[in-house]
Amino acid sequence: MSKKRKISLSEEELVLALQRREKIAAEALYDMYSASLFGVIVRIVNDEAIAEDILQDTFVKIWNSFSSYSTEKGRLFTWMVNIARNLAIDKIRSKDFKNQTKNQELENNVTFIDEQRNTVYKPELLGVKDLVEKLKPEQKSILDLVYFKGYTHVEAADELGVPLGTIKTRLRMAITQLRKYFN
Amino acid sequence: MEDIKAYIESGILELYVLGDVTPEERTQVEAMAQKHPAIKAELEEIGRSLELYAEENAVEPSENLRNRVLNSLVVNLGDDRTFSSTRTADEEEDNVIIPISRARSNTFFKYAFAACLALLLVSIVALISVYNKLQESNNLVASLQSQNQRFANQTSLMDKELGVFHDASFKMVKLQGTPKSPSSKLTVAWSPVKKKVMIDMTNASMPVNDKDHQYQLWAMVNGKPVDLGVFDADTTSTGMKEMKSIASADAFAVTLERRGGSPTPTMDQMMVIGKF
Repeated sequence: MSKKRKISLSEEELVLALQRREKIAAEALYDMYSASLFGVIVRIVNDEAIAEDILQDTFVKIWNSFSSYSTEKGRLFTWMVNIARNLAIDKIRSKDFKNQTKNQELENNVTFIDEQRNTVYKPELLGVKDLVEKLKPEQKSILDLVYFKGYTHVEAADELGVPLGTIKTRLRMAITQLRKYFN
Repeated sequence: MEDIKAYIESGILELYVLGDVTPEERTQVEAMAQKHPAIKAELEEIGRSLELYAEENAVEPSENLRNRVLNSLVVNLGDDRTFSSTRTADEEEDNVIIPISRARSNTFFKYAFAACLALLLVSIVALISVYNKLQESNNLVASLQSQNQRFANQTSLMDKELGVFHDASFKMVKLQGTPKSPSSKLTVAWSPVKKKVMIDMTNASMPVNDKDHQYQLWAMVNGKPVDLGVFDADTTSTGMKEMKSIASADAFAVTLERRGGSPTPTMDQMMVIGKF
């Protein structure tokens, strides 16, 4: 699939088309968000084949329960990425998944996947490096734990051995840095 | 406003966007967002930055996943159309190919079977005719062999006859007809050295005997008759016939006796007689 053939709509157009259940909406939805959602899912489950199954389930769930989404609730991506994260977290907490992959170092996995995948998003690589420099290590680790590993902030506090309040503050600081960076 | 700023800075909005809140907190944040545009704007900003962060960390899934996902969405839509056209083309191709190859193989085997049957019939006919010819040849060989045997026998017999004439030890005695049968004649060849007695049937001239009687050859040794065996006389008799052997004889005579011969000659039935 070449980049030129990818369909892109504005978020408002896409939401309207999804509400009308048009075929083009499904294609645009996939082309616009599959890579971003897959990046989150594959970091959580750490297995490409399982991640693809979850991505498929995610799109099916988005498509089927789209009536429950409203622009009032926030951004479309926020709603979608929470569906994807919940499916991925359900998967890694299921018995069969736990049996097949025993506990592994979390941050190592993230860097491992990044190293494996860095050819895929080379054009953005410079930006990511700048971004990583902007984020303090403790900010990045808490953000990645919660966003890319599916930890709750309570679990992250346990994992990192810091108080809940500190976790909340660090998380907010990390996201504030992101906002500065993207603006 | 201080309350709102403190609420924003508590970090609850980030956790809300990350989906890491309790249902009560969720309801509370949504209610606050309805009331305060500043909170709504803050939520929007947090969501946007996390979306961009996800975009920065995007991973392209494999290309074939697109069709898989879109097809599963279309199935849910209840639409018969699929996003991929290659698959249906494959299926059509399969549908076309299978009947053709089947039909071809059917006719092929039909013709092959017919050909085999025809070949079998031709082979059987050829085999029968060859068998008949072989039988003919075998018969011919058998008849030629028996003919050959006959010739060989005849030749050896004639050799023997000629040998009698050529052998100096043989004496020829011409027996002449008696008054009872004046026209009768018989030649006897006798070799005292080899003790052999033979009669020449070819040149014999004896009346044909009936089936109750046979001619009997006698040798006269010192005036006494000695039996030399019996023979039949008919018009087709040929060749030399060997009789019983005898070392010495004064004369030979033939009498007509009962079939099988008699121990003593019946003198009034003497047909021919010859002396040295």
